[in-house]
Amino acid sequence: MTSTKENSKTLFESWVAQFSDELFTWAYHKTSSRETAEDLVQDTFLSAYHKIDSFEGKSQPKTWLFAILNNKIIDHYRKKSKQFIISSDDYQQQMKTTDGFFDEHDKWKKATDNEEQHWLDNPEFNSLLLGCIKDLPENWQFVIQSKYILDKKSADICQELEITMSNYWQITHRAKLLLKKCIELNWVR
Amino acid sequence: MMKKMMNILMLSCKKATELIEKRLVAKLTSVEKIQLKMHTAVCSQCSDYENQSEIIEKCLAEIHQPNKETLKLSSERKEQILKQLEK
Repeated sequence: MTSTKENSKTLFESWVAQFSDELFTWAYHKTSSRETAEDLVQDTFLSAYHKIDSFEGKSQPKTWLFAILNNKIIDHYRKKSKQFIISSDDYQQQMKTTDGFFDEHDKWKKATDNEEQHWLDNPEFNSLLLGCIKDLPENWQFVIQSKYILDKKSADICQELEITMSNYWQITHRAKLLLKKCIELNWVR
Repeated sequence: MMKKMMNILMLSCKKATELIEKRLVAKLTSVEKIQLKMHTAVCSQCSDYENQSEIIEKCLAEIHQPNKETLKLSSERKEQILKQLEK
């Protein structure tokens, strides 16, 4: 008994050494938070340790650990998404935030001093974008990123978030308008 | 008749930008496709919006897709993980 325990201890020591950086990198990119990513990696090893018997060596340890981590990431968002359920009052209220972008004929209001801006797809832009996302209403933050975080189809995302398909793209639309404005205000040419 | 047709085909900017986002999530109907094409052909602000929307999407994909660079999990955390397993 002790020897099995000793064995799996040695095994996990080598797994942590070998795979924890990669798992952490992945989790960080999916959650944009170091702390959350560290916790998820820790949870992953803990779960793996407790169900090591179900690891039959059919897959590579790395593949197995990544599968566990991906489930943890989805769980993390699922827990959060309970807060994302959008009541119709909130929805009406939030939708108003972008009414000012268009005039009474639903045409763009004249852009004041923003002649053409050239946005560049570079690290600076990415961090500006992340900053602007943090300014969005919290439940929109996830909606707009969900596709890339969960790698899922629209229909599945709607189910996960308990919103209709048209809610989904309407929220994306409003969120994008706010992001556009935020980026235009902060982008230095 | 012609005027009626034009009314059906010409979208407002608000509606056009909505369709640009809808397209990412759901299939547009053929009428919507034509409406959008006609609108962005004549409205520079909406075709700018279309480009900007694409750039945002591209960056979001990039942000959530790990690049070649591997980050380091802190050694404190690694120790903590192993310690927790011993319990």
